[in-house]
Amino acid sequence: MSELVAVPVLLPLGAAGLSMAFGRFADVQRWLGLLVLGVIVVDAAVLLYFADVHGPLVLHLGGWAAPVGIALVADRLAALLLLISVIVMFAVLLYSIGQRITDYGRGTASTTFHPIYLVLCSGVSLAYLTGDLFNLFVAFEIMLASSYVLITRRTTANRVRAGMTYTIVSLSSSVLFLTMIGLVYAATGTVNLADLALEMGELPPAPVRALALLMVIVFGVKSAMVPLHFWLPDSYPNAPAPITAIFAALLTKVGIYAMIRTQILVFEREPSWPLMLTLAMATMIVGALGALAQNDLNRMLSFLLVSHIGFMLFGLGVYDIAGLTGVILYIVHHITVQATLFLVSGLITRYTGTVALSRMGGLAKISPLVAVLFAVPALSLAGVPPFSGFVAKLALLRAGVGVGTVWAQVATAVVVLTSLLTLYAVARVWSRAFWGQVREPEGDPDPSDELVVGTGDTSRGMVHATGVLVLSTVLVAVLAGPLAEVSQRAATDLITGEAYRAAVLGGGSGG
Amino acid sequence: MLALVVSHLLVALVLSLVSMRHSRAIYPVAALPPTAALCWALAHADSVLAGSPPVTRMNWSATLGLEFAFRLDTLALVMTLLVSGIGVLVLLYCRWYFGTPSGDAKRSASLLLAFAGVMFGLVLADDLLTLYVFWELTTICSFLLVGQSGVSRESRRASLQALLVTTLGGLVMLLGFIVLGESSGTYRISELAADPPDGAAVAVATGLILVGAFTKSAQVPFHNWLPAAMVAPTPISAYLHAASMVKAGVFLVARLTPVLSEVSYLPVVTAVFGLVTMFLGGWRALREHDLKLLLAYGTVSQLGFLMVLAGSGSYTGELALAGMLLAHGAFKATLFLVIGIVDHQTGTRDIRELSGLGRRMPWVTSVAVLAAMSMAGVPPTIGFVAKEAAFETYLGTGAVAAVEAGIVAGSVLTVAYTARLLFGCFASKRGAVPTEAHPVPAGMLLPPAVTALACLVLGVAYPLTDELAATYAERAAGSSGEYHLGLWHGFNQPLVFSAVTLFAGLTLAAHNARLNLLRSRLPRPLDAQRGYERIMGSLERLAVGVTGRVQVGSLPTYLGIILLAVLVVPGSVLLMRVTPIEQLRWWDNVLQLPLALVILVAAAGVVRATRRITAVLLVGVIGYGIGGMFIVGGGPDLALTQFLVETLTLIAFVLVLRRLPARFTETPSARRVRLPKVLVSLAGGVFVGFAALIFSSARDTPSRVSAEYLEHAEEGTSATNVVNAIIVDFRAFDTVGELSVLAVTATGVASLVLSSRSARRRKHARSDWRQLSATARPTAGEHGERGSA
Repeated sequence: MSELVAVPVLLPLGAAGLSMAFGRFADVQRWLGLLVLGVIVVDAAVLLYFADVHGPLVLHLGGWAAPVGIALVADRLAALLLLISVIVMFAVLLYSIGQRITDYGRGTASTTFHPIYLVLCSGVSLAYLTGDLFNLFVAFEIMLASSYVLITRRTTANRVRAGMTYTIVSLSSSVLFLTMIGLVYAATGTVNLADLALEMGELPPAPVRALALLMVIVFGVKSAMVPLHFWLPDSYPNAPAPITAIFAALLTKVGIYAMIRTQILVFEREPSWPLMLTLAMATMIVGALGALAQNDLNRMLSFLLVSHIGFMLFGLGVYDIAGLTGVILYIVHHITVQATLFLVSGLITRYTGTVALSRMGGLAKISPLVAVLFAVPALSLAGVPPFSGFVAKLALLRAGVGVGTVWAQVATAVVVLTSLLTLYAVARVWSRAFWGQVREPEGDPDPSDELVVGTGDTSRGMVHATGVLVLSTVLVAVLAGPLAEVSQRAATDLITGEAYRAAVLGGGSGG
Repeated sequence: MLALVVSHLLVALVLSLVSMRHSRAIYPVAALPPTAALCWALAHADSVLAGSPPVTRMNWSATLGLEFAFRLDTLALVMTLLVSGIGVLVLLYCRWYFGTPSGDAKRSASLLLAFAGVMFGLVLADDLLTLYVFWELTTICSFLLVGQSGVSRESRRASLQALLVTTLGGLVMLLGFIVLGESSGTYRISELAADPPDGAAVAVATGLILVGAFTKSAQVPFHNWLPAAMVAPTPISAYLHAASMVKAGVFLVARLTPVLSEVSYLPVVTAVFGLVTMFLGGWRALREHDLKLLLAYGTVSQLGFLMVLAGSGSYTGELALAGMLLAHGAFKATLFLVIGIVDHQTGTRDIRELSGLGRRMPWVTSVAVLAAMSMAGVPPTIGFVAKEAAFETYLGTGAVAAVEAGIVAGSVLTVAYTARLLFGCFASKRGAVPTEAHPVPAGMLLPPAVTALACLVLGVAYPLTDELAATYAERAAGSSGEYHLGLWHGFNQPLVFSAVTLFAGLTLAAHNARLNLLRSRLPRPLDAQRGYERIMGSLERLAVGVTGRVQVGSLPTYLGIILLAVLVVPGSVLLMRVTPIEQLRWWDNVLQLPLALVILVAAAGVVRATRRITAVLLVGVIGYGIGGMFIVGGGPDLALTQFLVETLTLIAFVLVLRRLPARFTETPSARRVRLPKVLVSLAGGVFVGFAALIFSSARDTPSRVSAEYLEHAEEGTSATNVVNAIIVDFRAFDTVGELSVLAVTATGVASLVLSSRSARRRKHARSDWRQLSATARPTAGEHGERGSA
């Protein structure tokens, strides 16, 4: 049974090699990618079921029991987020095939998109599943290395510069990550997360606090927490829509996941964490203000992404079961919604030929379907009921009010304010791009660069993939009942931590 | 009940898919669900009045306390009469108003129906969160209905304003709901009302909830979105912004009065805001020339009046509220629909242009007069009946008398603008050419005629109205009183007030021109529109300012901030609680000293280097120095790896450097920040050094894991070198991962190199072709040359 935990990591890695070997057969690559992701979706669903019913599934790689070897752990949290992430990856792959960005480079070099995308999937899965701090670093490296390749796939000067900002900031944070691991190992003599929790208890408080904060910074850079968020709005908007979608949906969320996992599993803390609440408020406000200052649709969405990272930090800052339930729900909601919005942005540019809001108009008339596909996730992001964003936001607000400290109450007010600013930002997009006079699509300044700016040619695959994602955001709202229950159980697991520790250190039943 | 609500939405969805050609036929179909809702509500009226309200519940998420809970009590029944009744009439009216098939007609049909559905859900809601869900949905419907196709800038602006103001209130209200729900342990309104909560949290929650009610019901200072929303087509204004949606705030206060009965400041706040709104709205209505705007400010004024009554909490007050809700719905819908007819048939709704319509449209005029009588409070209409009750409520001394005076003053203004409306719209004016008007189709006049008749019937058949209102008032106020709604209570104070109001109002209307002179001289301290624009303007500036300062776009700055964050946050924690570093030795081996010196000197040299090659070589020196440290420390295999990596990096660097300028380009601004950069880097290095010292001395027992590695390496993996054992066996998966990283990076670099090479090749090919065509056609070639130059 526990071998299933390795599938989301090893299968795409192996398939990536195969895909590389079939570089000249586009169809084989496509079907292979979709097949592999489909299998992982099923696998993740099974993992979630077993984790929820029977407790965490643990696989000790190489047969070496936990603190010595590396353990892969699928508990409720990991399995749930994995499932959502892979569903999104599947839809985005469908969209990419529809947009034909996968075929770029065919004829000049072997196609790299599919293999790299699969490696990215493997990295994301590993980041969720690993129970080992150093292995988490490896997971981030796999993810980031693939993302460097995906973001610099097309070489205009602008894009390379954006890619450089992204790459160098990420590499710097990796160096910091590595330094942190060194310090952790020096202080505790272990890098296994479950084991770390025990070892930390024996250290004096000052180094423990310093380590906790260092981890906040390391994962804060990854998840674009203010004031470490600068790189994101400068780099994401310059990649093709589906790639930005996958980065926005998954990479930052993996950072948040790592932050939650490490902080809560390893360190002990009372509910309501003022520092995190403060960072959350800063992230929400700076992001939302940034979004209001943009004319570029993708940049605006990137700032909104930053802003909503603050919502998740807020839930972490509340630091009790209700707060974490809210975070988990919010992550599930946000992964789907943010990916959808970037995909829709890709559709929009296909119709308008531009990403500048001031040069769009009348889209609701040109394509009512795109209008609907935009409206649902946009309203959801703004937390308008009955969409998924409302459900997740409600969980957060209840947690913020329930915990009862002044900091939490102030932060709760900021959550409400940010919701309003988000609604303003997306309503402005609606007002500028979807209303108004119908405009002719703009000519393409660089026809060889058909990725970012549209050609007026929208394939059905793109629309279908976006539709699938929009439906899944609606499903998140419809299934709010069971989802909230699983999230609450996952949050309880996180806070107590016993099930996780017992599963990883206790039996060694797997290997 | 849920099924009824959902049926509205489903039919709306289906209608939105029907082709545009059938847009006239859409409206009668759209009127079906609200008709069903109305019939259903009336069929249950008996059991509602008998005190056994129908209830439906559906769970959404028990964990989050989310459910759909509906309950048809008397207040809900009154509101359903308004929402569904007027909904049906407006939808039928739309068929004539929108006339020719158009996108606007079709979109409005499904949106209006969807709105009727969510509004129906809102009035039935028995759960705070259910109520919020429908509350926000009405806002979204309003946004889309006001904006229409969004072609005109004005409608876009107005819809955005309405959206933002009401959502602001909605979100604050949600926060209030949550505070209320968390502190009292339930979100169900009927449960809350049965056992009213008490305490500071409830007082705070009330304040927050009132913000929501005030924004939705356009109370001063949030009122301005309502007149701005008048850019919408008239039936939409009639339905959303007069008869139903804007009453949601008043409804909310009425709904929660029993719940918040322990909050003593509620009646005071609603009275103050309500009276200010009532007065300012009426005052402003006297100035407007656009009939629709005049009515809109009239609505603002009336909403203020309703708000005063909703907060009163007394039996008579609730009685007056129920009467007034019905009255206002009926007369305001009538007047809006009539003005829609006038606008539609004459092409204008400006008082200064209209003349002589009374003769041309006698039926329309009589309908309007009937509604206007109700609005002004002339017997025997329901408006008079309800207003009498309102006057009765605030008979008394002190603060109560002040409220009474306020209501009377507001009512005087109401009479005045009613007269202005009637006279301006229908009278023949001296010297004005009678306005041309198309004949009015009977179907278009029917809906306003029905509502106008309702104004009369509800007043004449007052015992019926009284029964409905009394059941509501008894439950809302928790007690019953002597007073009954009626046309005749004898010669008493309220009757005097009614007479005074009518007389003073008509006098005021007659002297309106002089009043306007006075008005133009008064300062306007409470210009809400300017306030809104100023706030939006400063928000814009703030957004641009903050983002411009934060998002500087410079990579070195970003890296510096990351480093600073490390120094400030964990660094300060370490500094503040310094743990003693035990067993500190300066060196283990004398050879470490010269190596350290070499590394430090090389590092300093890198900072000072001006040539790229020098910097690269010095970085290499640092790397080799560290490798040397490994040898001295007893790790020859590590050292070997280090040397190999350094050598490879150096070679790669040298290859790249061939393509770059020999020296670093350094701008003056970069030179200025050089010292800070050096300092931050230095501090970073020192931090990591000290942290390493502190952390490695934090533990006094050897690592359990390292011990196990050493123990298992030989027999478990057959390796004599534990590092190898770790890399290829214990933690082999890390190695697999890192290998994939290498493979991916190599692929990425290869595709970058190959694609830039092929791009170059393409460019060459293009210029070749251009040369070729240039030789073939000299003139075109010249063009091409110039173009490329």
